[in-house]
Amino acid sequence: MIGRFGWRMWLAFAILAALPALPFMTGYRLNLAFDALLFGIVAMSLDLLMGYTGMISFGHAAFLGLRAYSTAILLERGVRSLWLCLGAAVVVVGVYALVVAYFATTRRGIYFALLTLIFAEVVYTFFRYTQTFGGSDGIQGLEAPHLIPGVPASTLGSPLENYYLVLILLLLTYVLCRTLVESHFGRVLIAIRENEDRARFLGYHVRGYKMAVCLISALLAGVAGAVYPVRLANATPDLLLWTISGEAIVMVMIGGIGTLVGPVIGGVFFILLQEEVSTYAPRLYQLLGFSPEKGAGLHFLIIGIILVLIVLFMPKGLVGLFRRRRARRAPSAAVQTVPAGELE
Amino acid sequence: MEYVTAVLLPQALHGLFFGAALALLALGLTVIFGLLGVMNFAHGELFMLGAYAGIVVIGLTESFWVALVLAPLAVGALGALTEVLTLRPLYRREPLYGLILTFGLSLGLREVVREVWGGDMRRIFEPITGSVPLLGMIYPKYRLFLLGFSLLLLLILWLFFTRTRAGIIVRAAVQDAEMLDGLGVDVPRVFTLTFAGSSALAALAGLLLAPVITVYPTMGVEWILLAFIVVILGGMGSMGGSVLAALVIGEAQSLFSLWMNPQRVAIAIFAIMIFVLIVRPRGFFGREGVLE
Repeated sequence: MIGRFGWRMWLAFAILAALPALPFMTGYRLNLAFDALLFGIVAMSLDLLMGYTGMISFGHAAFLGLRAYSTAILLERGVRSLWLCLGAAVVVVGVYALVVAYFATTRRGIYFALLTLIFAEVVYTFFRYTQTFGGSDGIQGLEAPHLIPGVPASTLGSPLENYYLVLILLLLTYVLCRTLVESHFGRVLIAIRENEDRARFLGYHVRGYKMAVCLISALLAGVAGAVYPVRLANATPDLLLWTISGEAIVMVMIGGIGTLVGPVIGGVFFILLQEEVSTYAPRLYQLLGFSPEKGAGLHFLIIGIILVLIVLFMPKGLVGLFRRRRARRAPSAAVQTVPAGELE
Repeated sequence: MEYVTAVLLPQALHGLFFGAALALLALGLTVIFGLLGVMNFAHGELFMLGAYAGIVVIGLTESFWVALVLAPLAVGALGALTEVLTLRPLYRREPLYGLILTFGLSLGLREVVREVWGGDMRRIFEPITGSVPLLGMIYPKYRLFLLGFSLLLLLILWLFFTRTRAGIIVRAAVQDAEMLDGLGVDVPRVFTLTFAGSSALAALAGLLLAPVITVYPTMGVEWILLAFIVVILGGMGSMGGSVLAALVIGEAQSLFSLWMNPQRVAIAIFAIMIFVLIVRPRGFFGREGVLE
């Protein structure tokens, strides 16, 4: 195992696992770390589509939110087993993802992006306006599910338990994705990204591969979504808003498109940045003599500016800074060398 | 008959002006898309900025009509600046980067507006008040003006794109920018001016609609989705398709809301789009091979 995934990865996970032992990791910080890793999983799953297959999904929020809702609905109805919740969520997201993938993969490039966006909007509109599921308030005040059926002592709910849950999910997702991209399947995905027509002429069932990778990506994003209500004890339509899908793309871009570690770094960076900026912006405003409430949305402004700067000056993202020498081999480099128009 | 004049006809007219305003918004989007290959995610924010710029000018001059001239000019200038500073360095890269860049711009613009003007809903008062009898019903004068003015603008745009040299150059650039460059046209300047024009058009649509809808920092998020649907439905890069699709969506939205709640209306609109894409994958007038 060590040889296959590299000692760096195991070291990184060991550090992440030991993180809660540090004195400054209070419950609040652990919850923040939970969010950061969770969005790391979402971004990693999105990069399977964006970075490896060259398909931009603008509807990833739907996979995340749909699964959050299916977990929340079950918890609300009294189903307390975490495993039942996860299983039901797999079915719900799986069916939805198949429908989206079936229609969206008939189109390429921006058509694909917009189709995923529109499908996600249908889901958003449904939950936003359906009073049975709480309308704009969503489903609130959930109780934590049982990890082992019938054993109340093992209920999830403390920040530490939640953190380890999402960390284990991150590890599993990474191992799965790494295995996937290094397999024959992964090579075909890269071939499709480089030149779809050529891959087809070589005899590959391109649409089948595309649908498969859509489904995998959706289910992985869903894994993160399914555990989201565990920490927040709610599911709201805000999770389904298309700006969340955009933020996931931002995370991939910040971290480094076409890599697996990059999106996780991007996700962590994005969540921490958002948190820090929204913590300090009101103080900054107070110092300048304005009312502190005005700084509430300032983090989006700063994130917007950072995003613009990254697109302009750092197209390979944060990972690109460390990988400059290996850039020739890294998959992310390929995105750069594809002539304009070829990926469409 | 009572039903037709009292309910159906006003709602159909409502749909027509809604569709015409949507067409103004979608036209800029489709031209930029055809020209730069960039789906401009910040277009909704330019629409929103038009309304806010209008609020500022009206505050200073107390005239809606002055604002109707100055606000689009200001937003157009901002558009030109944005194009030169951020989009121009990206032309040689794939469209994905432009898409993500404009998404970042839209996030930033929205928050700048929220910081400056606050997140509250605002209203611009109708510059023309009162109603007139029309075809056996009473219709607000401003909406009538809105309908007439939008249709007039669409006519002017059509004449611009078919009769003037500048319009033909823009259309040629949509078809084949490289060839145009070879013919000695300053293509980067065409791009900048077109982006400015498209921004001004979005701002104009925003200000025109502001007295009828409410103005708030995230209004662009809702409108741009409709504009996207219009562009896909009409066929990417087809201006005529966009106008037709905008009118279809405007009427559908308006008439459906007679019989359905807002949720069902929204889902019905999405359903129309998905249906059209299955039957006619390129939309109404989409050209073969445009970004597929």
